[in-house]
Amino acid sequence: MNVTISQQDAVTVVAISGSVDSLSADKLTESFVGELNAGRVKLVADFAAVSYTSSAGLRSVLAAVKESRRSGGDLRIAAVQPDVLRVLSLSGFTSIIKMYDGVAAAVSSYGQA
Amino acid sequence: MNASPRDPAAPAVSLVIGSGSVKCAAAIGVVKALTEEGIAVERFVGCSAGAIFAAVLALGYGAQESMDATRRLWTSDITAKRNTMGMLRALAPRLFGFKVESFGLRDDRPKDQMLNAFFGDRRIEDAGTPLHITATDFANGELVDLDRGSIADAIRASVALPFAFAPVRLGGKLLVDGYLADPLPVSVAIKHGGRVIIAVGFESPYQERIGSAGRFAFQLSAIMSNNLLKSRFSFHSVAHHSEVIAIIPEFRQRIRLFDTEKLPYIVEEGEACMRAQIPYLRELLAADRAAVAS
Repeated sequence: MNVTISQQDAVTVVAISGSVDSLSADKLTESFVGELNAGRVKLVADFAAVSYTSSAGLRSVLAAVKESRRSGGDLRIAAVQPDVLRVLSLSGFTSIIKMYDGVAAAVSSYGQA
Repeated sequence: MNASPRDPAAPAVSLVIGSGSVKCAAAIGVVKALTEEGIAVERFVGCSAGAIFAAVLALGYGAQESMDATRRLWTSDITAKRNTMGMLRALAPRLFGFKVESFGLRDDRPKDQMLNAFFGDRRIEDAGTPLHITATDFANGELVDLDRGSIADAIRASVALPFAFAPVRLGGKLLVDGYLADPLPVSVAIKHGGRVIIAVGFESPYQERIGSAGRFAFQLSAIMSNNLLKSRFSFHSVAHHSEVIAIIPEFRQRIRLFDTEKLPYIVEEGEACMRAQIPYLRELLAADRAAVAS
């Protein structure tokens, strides 16, 4: 799994590629924690290149969602592929996380009421 | 038929097979892929129709034998006969007397005879691999983990679909279909120390057309069981300390309740889903063993 971080105005885009699983979740968590500790709490996770997520990956995402919201921000997810969406849906994540078709829509959502 | 003893040093996973009628046969393909990759199953958990496949696989049946077993055990004969008295008791309880223990609109006997003929007097604790069959306590809705006793009786309880089949009295409890407590009982594997858990689950299909009270009831049941599946699976995913790998085959062909002619396709889909996860699973099991050893 690879993580690339970029900034779009006040929003931090965390682009993830590969499998978000037990072997890679710590790396993803570190990436999220690094941004949150730096005060960048408006996050967009770009899932366009995420091929798989497991329970360990879900726990990493959930921890970031909770921490960002606690700090007044949010973690929103963009461009989820169908196989990953099924896992997110089965595990109830689609009911608590805002999801968007693409990164642009997710980033601009922070500017909306 | 019994499974040969498992090499305790070999990599292993717990396998949970959720409710899902004949679609549960995908678990045959999952086990086929695991076996061919030298990965053992250390514990089987099965719910509702998944209990049938968990039992057959825990007894050591191979892929072809398991498909043959499915063709014997999962036929429309099991729901073919009406329970006329059950219907009369439902329509006129004061006249005919309503009895919880015998209330079902289908005659249980063909199903029970089929299960008894296939499993005979084999017991859960005789399976080569630890086996758990789940049912629901009718008195309080709690999940009941059946890990000993008659396999046929445990499956009867696990598949006791409300309204269709009568509840089953077992071990002093009145039991109904396991899906009512949890359609994908990952909790049983977690409770018994499972680390890497493969969860084979299915959402109940929604009705395309609703033209009868029966279809109406099926739709309500699907809504409730799918929401329960999601809420339980989400809790287990975040609560488990290690890994739950979800295997959710997406069938492009419509699979109806008794579509056993589609067994090869269903098994292939399950095998393909599992094979896609094998590289990750190998790495994960190696890391898990290293973590335990350190």
